[in-house]
Amino acid sequence: MLLKRFNRIQRLFHLFLIITFLIQAGTGFGRLFITTDFGRSLTSIFGGYETAIVVHFWVGILMMAGFTVHTIYLVTRINRRDLVNSILGPDSLVLGPQDAQHLFQRILWTMGFGSSPQLDRWAYWEKFDYWSVFWGLPLLAVTGIMLKFPLLTTLFLPGWALNISGLLHRAEAILAASYIFIVHFFIGHLRPASFPMNEAMFSGNVPLEEAVKEKPAWVERLRQEGRLLELMKVRPPALWYRVLYFVFGYTALGFGIYILINGIVYGRYIQLH
Amino acid sequence: MVNKTEMRMWQPVVRSLRASFWSVLGSLIWLLILVTLLPNPALAQGEMVTDIRRYRERELSTGYYEEYEVKSARLVPIVSVPGIRRGLFPYSPTGAEVRIRTRLADSHWGIKFYKDLRCEYCHIKETRDIHTVRGNLTCRQCHGGEPIASINHYYSPMNPTRRHAYVCSKCHEGASASYASYVIHAPNPAMLSTKETFPVLFYVFWFMVALAVGTFAVFLPHTALWGLRELLMKKEKTEGES
Repeated sequence: MLLKRFNRIQRLFHLFLIITFLIQAGTGFGRLFITTDFGRSLTSIFGGYETAIVVHFWVGILMMAGFTVHTIYLVTRINRRDLVNSILGPDSLVLGPQDAQHLFQRILWTMGFGSSPQLDRWAYWEKFDYWSVFWGLPLLAVTGIMLKFPLLTTLFLPGWALNISGLLHRAEAILAASYIFIVHFFIGHLRPASFPMNEAMFSGNVPLEEAVKEKPAWVERLRQEGRLLELMKVRPPALWYRVLYFVFGYTALGFGIYILINGIVYGRYIQLH
Repeated sequence: MVNKTEMRMWQPVVRSLRASFWSVLGSLIWLLILVTLLPNPALAQGEMVTDIRRYRERELSTGYYEEYEVKSARLVPIVSVPGIRRGLFPYSPTGAEVRIRTRLADSHWGIKFYKDLRCEYCHIKETRDIHTVRGNLTCRQCHGGEPIASINHYYSPMNPTRRHAYVCSKCHEGASASYASYVIHAPNPAMLSTKETFPVLFYVFWFMVALAVGTFAVFLPHTALWGLRELLMKKEKTEGES
């Protein structure tokens, strides 16, 4: 009994983001930590200090292109005839007051008070993940371009703007990477309910039982709208595909944890500015 | 008495004198008018200087940076430091701190046993930025040999009026004065003193720290407790089933 949760385009966007994000993290943090053994071994994967920045730049351009495509996709998802519901409704990723309530309920529930929040299609932490990428990526893109073309930038801005953009680029990268490698990975892989791996983003489906437990309001809404049976017409993923995405997922996880732990260990040998 | 014949004799002389008087006066008036068309009188060698921008227009338009370098009218020998007023006559040579290290021809003037010292003995923080750590530059590659001129001395290559042309563009081809305002020895953004020296860096840093602390203060306990709760629930369930 499976329930369709992500379509092919959404999964492709996520896969694209995993690969590009990890390459950016590897090349970027490799260069940030270049004065340490960790940085040198990390950049050696990407061809050394000088090559890593070339990779970093072009993958960054690729990410910006992906971001543009995704934004166009996002705009096409808006239903013009039902604008309010399509932007603020339960199928939208826009944060609302009920998300703060759900977060509060969840924290109380973890300590044994009350019931777990009646989540709809997108949980508050999923929305938070989504929007942190959505503002982080343009910030990293703008500051990255400023640092890549300093002569052009200083035609319009004073040179000390490069100090600021350097600081912002690094701080935002550290924030994003540590959030992904700690919170996002824990929720997706290591949390007892989803261990060893939350397969929804790769197979596109969630087991109905899990959906009822985690997203009760969503399943209930689908039932009322009569779309539940329609969304349950999905085939389970092929075994070879499951093996593939388990290997891929754990490689990504391992790479992230490697950067995270070494980043913490070697953090005191580098400077942020 | 002068008789009539004598007067008649002098008449042409008087007439010509009178005519030349008016012509000389006319010429003088014309000359005065012409003088007003001349440029304003100026102090010697000061004509390229404006109070604020100094030689910038001249240098930018000609591309020659040291040709017109003279002490500008603004920088008179009376050394006064903005914000510092001392003594009864604050604008006199003795009134202000004269030995401002950033304004000397030899910035290390008067330091004892100077020749036995190394840069990093005193300037340890300045050896830890991107140019020295990543670019492997030495101090002297930018600051020059002895005597090391202060950054704000008139003739120093490090003077902001010509730093981009004399220092930065040695490596960064096409560096502009704006480009050269990049703070190479950036202060530690976390320090309170940075609020005075580089406020934007200070506030941006603490904004990002607040953002990170805010995010993790919510999500770290939230996620850890959530995992723990699920673990305990799983245990309860397996114990209940068996």
